Amino acid sequence: MVTALLVILGFCAGLLGALTGIGGGVLLTPILALHFGIPIREAIGTSLVAVITTSTASSSVHLQRHTTDIRLGMTLELATALGAAVTAYLVGYFNRSALEGLFAAFLLYSAITILTKRGKVEGLEDESALIADETVIPPYEPKRYPLGLAASLVAGALSGLLGIGGGPIKVPVMYIFMNVPLMVATATSNFMIGVTAAASAIVYYRRGDILVQYAAPLAVGVFVGSLLGARLAPRVRTKVVVYLLAGVMCYLAGNLILHLMRGWL
Amino acid sequence: MSQVREPEFDRAVALVLRVGAFGCFVIMFAGVSVGLFVSGRIPLNIERAGVLLMLATPVVRVLVACFLFFREKDWKYGWISLGVLVILMLGSVFGIGEH
Repeated sequence: MVTALLVILGFCAGLLGALTGIGGGVLLTPILALHFGIPIREAIGTSLVAVITTSTASSSVHLQRHTTDIRLGMTLELATALGAAVTAYLVGYFNRSALEGLFAAFLLYSAITILTKRGKVEGLEDESALIADETVIPPYEPKRYPLGLAASLVAGALSGLLGIGGGPIKVPVMYIFMNVPLMVATATSNFMIGVTAAASAIVYYRRGDILVQYAAPLAVGVFVGSLLGARLAPRVRTKVVVYLLAGVMCYLAGNLILHLMRGWL
Repeated sequence: MSQVREPEFDRAVALVLRVGAFGCFVIMFAGVSVGLFVSGRIPLNIERAGVLLMLATPVVRVLVACFLFFREKDWKYGWISLGVLVILMLGSVFGIGEH
């Protein structure tokens, strides 16, 4: 019964993630913690497996379109993997309330970001989707590597701490500051998430914070959901999906805060 | 100069990811299915194998890229890939924190 629920949950998270570009981890962690009674640290470790699944499946598609900059990705991965491994290690010494509070704050931040910046990003993505079909990439030379590496370190640290992908940090930095076309930035960020999440997931696994019996059905659902989502994406009205996603995020953040306060009283 | 693009390089790395993703899916699906009929350690071990393969896929991806860079005599990116690999390995050495 729980297994079936987990497969469905993974499917929904994968579908929503593929439709909106927000990774599944940000939804899966709080749902596992709140509704399956899993301690937050184990919930983060478990959802990291789903994050790797999404990244691996989707970046194999991007690579076939030749929109991924492997050299740039590999360079920035030095920073994301380092950040992720260090915070994943430190999480072992964090207490539960601090993690739940941080996660609630991050959920609210993400909800606000997707609601306010939606129009701008979507316009750009439509444009890049058109170019993606022809795979014509204008010549470019990545600039400001130190800034890119610093941002990647922060994205990696957040990833190891909260079990998320960190795309919302890396994509704008590559696009705006490093002079990388948006289509390439999106594909490269996605590509990097697999290694970033693996760097922290290995630490979580060694500590026993990945619950295999939860991770496997989740990953199965996520895999099917994200492949279907990628197919449906051009035909779905994203406006409705974005409001739905923001609503779910606010609900989860609220519940996490309630859960925290109940612990204090 | 723009970034060099090599379709073959992309294809090799994509192959690693695709084999990893589909392989994991099949193994995890098998584990979950077996778990519906049998309880205990057998389905759990199958699921564990799937999860471990999923964790290993990005590592293998870096390893393959590292090998390809060195073969192309692209030393700079070969060393960068090796650096990423070392960080990933360190995680599995120092991975045991407090419970």
